[in-house]
Parts: sequence; structure tokens; C-alpha cells
Amino acid sequence: MKKYLPLGLFLLIVILLWRGLGLHPNLIPSPLINKPVPTSRSVFLGQVTLLNVFASWCEACAEEQGFLNQLAKNNKVRIIGFNYKDTPLKAKAWLKQYGNPYQNIMVDSKGETAIDWGIYGTPETFVIDKKGIIRYKVLGAISPDLWEETLGPLILKLESETL
Amino acid sequence: MIPELGSFALILALCFALIQGTIRSELTVNAVFGQFTFLSFAMLCLIISFINNDMSVIYVREHSHHLLPFIYRVGAAWGGHEGSLLLWCLVLSAWTFAFIIFSDKKLSKTTFSTILMILGWMSAGFILFLLSTSNPFQRDFPLSPIIGNDLTPVLQDPGLIFHPPMLYSGYVGFAIAFAFAIAALLEGKFNKEWARALRPWIILPWSFLSFGIVLGSWWAYRELGWGGWWFWDPVENASLLPWLAATALLHSLIVSEKRSAFKGWTLLLAIITYALSLLGTFLVRSGVLVSVHAFANDPRRGLFLLGYIALIIGGALALYSIRIKKFFKPSQFQLFSRETFLLINSVILLTAVATITLGTLYPIVLEALNLEKISIGEPYFNTVFVPIMLPALLLMGLAPHVHWEKQSFLALWKKMGLALLLSLLLAFLLPWSLGYPFGFLTWMGISLGLWILLSTLQSLLKQKTGLNHWAMIVAHMGIAILVIGVSVNKSYSEERQVKMQPGESIMLAGYQFTFDSLDKTKGPNFESIKANFTVGNEPISAEQRIYPHDQTLGKTGIIFNGWRDLYLALGNSLPDGNWSIRIYYKPCVRWIWFGGFMLLIGGMISLLNHYQKRRGAL
Repeated sequence: MKKYLPLGLFLLIVILLWRGLGLHPNLIPSPLINKPVPTSRSVFLGQVTLLNVFASWCEACAEEQGFLNQLAKNNKVRIIGFNYKDTPLKAKAWLKQYGNPYQNIMVDSKGETAIDWGIYGTPETFVIDKKGIIRYKVLGAISPDLWEETLGPLILKLESETL
Repeated sequence: MIPELGSFALILALCFALIQGTIRSELTVNAVFGQFTFLSFAMLCLIISFINNDMSVIYVREHSHHLLPFIYRVGAAWGGHEGSLLLWCLVLSAWTFAFIIFSDKKLSKTTFSTILMILGWMSAGFILFLLSTSNPFQRDFPLSPIIGNDLTPVLQDPGLIFHPPMLYSGYVGFAIAFAFAIAALLEGKFNKEWARALRPWIILPWSFLSFGIVLGSWWAYRELGWGGWWFWDPVENASLLPWLAATALLHSLIVSEKRSAFKGWTLLLAIITYALSLLGTFLVRSGVLVSVHAFANDPRRGLFLLGYIALIIGGALALYSIRIKKFFKPSQFQLFSRETFLLINSVILLTAVATITLGTLYPIVLEALNLEKISIGEPYFNTVFVPIMLPALLLMGLAPHVHWEKQSFLALWKKMGLALLLSLLLAFLLPWSLGYPFGFLTWMGISLGLWILLSTLQSLLKQKTGLNHWAMIVAHMGIAILVIGVSVNKSYSEERQVKMQPGESIMLAGYQFTFDSLDKTKGPNFESIKANFTVGNEPISAEQRIYPHDQTLGKTGIIFNGWRDLYLALGNSLPDGNWSIRIYYKPCVRWIWFGGFMLLIGGMISLLNHYQKRRGAL
């Protein structure tokens, strides 16, 4: 039996790697989930909010913007922008070009507030409930699929929660 | 037109690989040549597409930019997933081609052609992978002119030109040893000629891999700005694993060749070494791991590669399980003998392989079992790797002095006791006389380094030194120097992170760093802010560069001599007008790379010996 040991071990590793392929190592859960927002808490109280991190230099943000505009137009949810490592001038021009779904925008031109929020790239989106508690975080752009499957239902549920 | 020619050349290369894999004939040699020619041509086409900045080629668009300097456009050809796979295929066919030209003529004709067939299948699999999931020549004609995404600034460094080709030459070269092992298992034949013919095909890739790893370490050190030279990053581990296995293989093969023992073990190690090379490729290419080296991932790629590995390595190990009985032979050596020492060396190296593999794959394992997400970092690897390797280093000094078959312990002690005591004493006295504090692990590390150095030199006194002996001496002394470098560096490095503005100075390890001025400069494709310092009378400066697409990159400043590096990194500007500055004092860091370089030299000497002997025999 001993001579089959290398083969057995190898097959075990292959199976694990095969399982590993279906996973997403980049989806690291934020330690802030179920914690209150780290800054500007008053802004978030009373209404379910998407906080969307964007920047004018971010190409994926431009692609995501179309869908966010639709959400805003259909009043699906309140969206607040988080302008990350950007200049107001560039950001304004960019919003003019790609549309502005944001009810309000937090500005973090040096990327300092972003550290408190644990932001490490753009786009990123936080789902924040009425009490100002972070309930979910999306890394990368929001796709219509993700909205249908996860975010939409989650937001409906959060809307039904009482303060 | 040129990208289409490249695609076409790839298809032709695939045809040649299939011919090489299926037909056993003298003509296969031509197929190998054809394959090599067309893969070189394909690589040339890719490089030309980069030089012309042909933005209709998706791969070029993603890794080039019209401002990218010429030399990095050449290097960018293998700066991404598709191109680096093409390099993989090219290197494999180059090795096969070299095998045809330089292979030992004493190797039997059947073994020779079996090896070529196995290599043919391996090559066909990879070219198919390239064509079906990762064609670098894929086009997409944009409607409006596009500027490229640019090559990641971290890759815009001379390291890009040398490190990947050197590393791949190592990795991929083990395919030949693997094919040798399969041929031996198929034919049930493992004799002295076979072992001797195999030897250069382990030594050469091993030397390249050693040097490739060193180049990577040196690059990371300069580029990442934290003064570190090894990060236990999964991809670094992926290159260290085959190196450790190949080191074990190299030593086991010596026993097989000289004493005709450990045959099964040698065959298994040859399979494991290549399996680890493939595993490394899989880990990097599939994106199952988070790493600074990770490439964009497409699930089909990972699946294809995994299937390919399962087929090739699974098949090889199954064959091994079935046929291995033929190679077992009662060996005649006593417990205290060079055979035992070399066996222990293999076992230790393989244990190191297992622990590093465990640490690298453990996060995936946990995730696959839906348990949790974790990352395993430096503390784990340092804690487990160092104690495992210490006994190996002790044995390394002894083994060359131990006789084959049997050795009396007393005689060995009489011979080597002095060197051992001397190294223990010197390791204590040297740091003390230079005013460094005592540390147990430091003392152990330096002792072991000195021990290998002294005992290796001692072997020069008594024995007649042929080239092969010199190869061992140089390689072992390389390890000794590396070990001393690592020990001193880990223990006596100093660093400070400070806020500074021009005009201020700061002390570190007895050196005064003065912040003289701040400049704005321009490079070919970047703008930069440069902080100019002086240490003593020597200028040193660090930069923050801003590349197109607003990507920033720090460039460190380094002053070095044989004993120490002074290292400067520029951080962000702070609201109060200061700059955040990191300075490091790194003693003996160059020793680490110099030691690694000596491995390459040792390998080359051994090769020289091999061909000298062969010419003598003819």
C-alpha cells in the first residue's frame, strides 16, 4: 500500500485545488460588517444607503455608473458617493460625463478617511442600514445580476426593519 | 499581419509537438527543431507587436502604452499571463532542442526517443492551453484610437528582462528529468549510464532556478520599498518548492549513480520536482491564491491547467506505484555512512517542501471546506522552516567527509571536531568584537554558516580536487555565505520611519542621513518627486513616480558595500509639509544574493566537468 501513498496524496491535493478554483480569494469579508460606520454617522441615520466609492481615474467605475444611474432614477435606494483620491475639478467633470446618481458626496482627496473605512480600491460599495450599521460590502463593480440576486433583496429586507 | 503570423506559428508548433509525441523515429528530431523555430518566431511576432505598440492586439493593449520605453516593451511580452505562457512553451522547446544536441551519446536509442515522445506530449498540452484559453495574439479592432493600459509600474524594471526567463529556464527544465524518470519506469531500466546522462539535466535547471530566485529576491528588495528580500509570498514559495525538491533530487541521484542505491527515491523525486514546478505554474496562473504576482483570472484557465497536471502527474505517479517494485534492491550500507547522511538530507528537504506546501495551500483548504478565510504569512514560515533546515545545514558540513558504506564515529569526530568547535566559538566572538548583542538564533545561524565554510575548506586539504569536487565546494560555500548573510541580516538590521523635511537629519546605526532637497523630475513615461539625501559624503535619493493612469510607484535609493546596505524609501507628503521617510540599515544583505550566485557558478563547474569527461571518453 505504501507505494500508492504519493499518488493518493497528489489526488487529494488536486481535489482541493479543484474546489479552490470555484472560490474567490479576493472576497475578503470586511471586518466592519455589522459595525457602525466609522465616520459621518449622522448622514446615514434613518435611511438605507449604498455608499459607492468612485474616482475619476477609475475605469471600472465608469462602467458601473450606468447601472447606478438607473437605480437612482428608479428610486430603488439612496446612493451616496465616496470620492476617493481625486480632485473636485476632475470629479465634477467626470460626473457630468457619466452621470451623477449620488444624493450626496463624501470627499476624500488624500485617501485618509478611506483607511478608516477599510477601502482598498475602486469601485467598492457598502450597504448601510437605517441605524448606520454596515451590513454588506461589494468589491468591484455592481452588476445587474448581483443586484437581482443579493443586493436588491437585502435592501428590501433592510427597508422593512424598524429603527 | 504580424499577430496572425504569430498565431499561425503557434498552430504549426502544436502540429510539430503532436508529431514529436506520437511518432517514434529518427525524424522526430526535425519536429523538435520545427517546434523550436516556430515558437521562437511566435515570440518574435509578439515582441514586434509590442515594439510597434499594435493596440489592436488585446494583450499588447493591456500591457503597453505609447510612452513605455523600448526595453520594457520587449520585456512586457512576458509581463502578463498570455505572454509568460508563451515563454513557458518556448523554454520547454528550447530545453528539448538542447537535449537533442547535448544528450549523452551513451544513452540508449530507445530511452532517447521515449524521452522525446514524453516531452512532445507535455509541450503539446501547453501549446494547446495557450491557443485555446490564452492566445496572446487575439485581436479586437477598436473603433477609436486607444491608449494602452500600460505595464504595471512595478514591472518596469531591469528585473523584468532577466528574472522571468531565468526562473522559467529553471522550472521548465525539470521536464527533462521528469521525462527521464517516466522512460525509466516504462522500460524498467535504471542504470549508471542513465543516471549519468540525467545529471546535467538536473544541474543546469537547478542552477538557473537558484539564480532566478536570487534575481527575484533582489528585485523585490529594491522595488517593494520595505527592505525585505523574501516575503513568503505564495508565488515565491512556488519557486522555492521545486528548488528544494531538485536539491534533494540532485543529491539522491549522486547516490544512485555512484552506489546504485536509492533508485526508487530518485525517480519519485524527479516526478515530485516537476510536479511542484507545474503546481507553481498553476498557483500563479489560476488565481486561486491572493498574491502580489497573481494575474487576472479566467476560470477556464485554472481548470485546463489542473486537468493537465492531474493527467501528467497523476499518470506518472500511478505508473510509479505500479512499476516501482522493479527498482527496489537491498542496499548495503551501514547506519553511519554517507548514504545515510544523503538520505537524511533528502528527507529533511522533502519535509521542508511539505511544510511550505501546507502553509501555501492551507488557506485554500480551509476555504474549500467552507471553514474560514485566513492568510498565512511570514511568522508561520519562519517558525517552521528555520528549525527544519538547521539539521540539514549541520549535515551539509559533515557529509562530504563521511565515507560511503560505513564510517566510524570516532574518526569523524577526530577529523571534524576542531572545525565544529572553532565555528561555534567564532560565531560568538565575531559579533561580540564588532559590538553586536548576542542572540541565540543568530549564534546558531552564524555557527552553521561558518561550520559549512570551514568543513568545506577542510575537504580541500586532504582530497585530490577534481572539477566535480570544486563544484560541490563552490555550491556549499555559497549556501554557507547565504546562511551567514540571512542570520546577520535578520538579527542586526535597523530601521526608522520618520517625518522629515529638507534641511533635517537623522541618525541610524551610526550613519547620519541628511535630507538636502526635494526635486521634481521627469522620466520617459513618468513624473517624479525626488528626495535627495546625503550620508557622509555620498548622495542617495528616493523617488515617488507617477506613471500614466495615475499609478504611483516608489523608487528606493540604496548605497551599498560588501558589508551593509543603506536603504532609503520616500513615502507620502504629510499635511504639515513633512514627508514620511523610511530608512534601513541592512548588514550583509548582499551576501544572500552572492551566495545564491555561487550556486549558479557551482552548477556551471559541475557541467564543465561532465563534458570534459565525456570528451575524454569519446
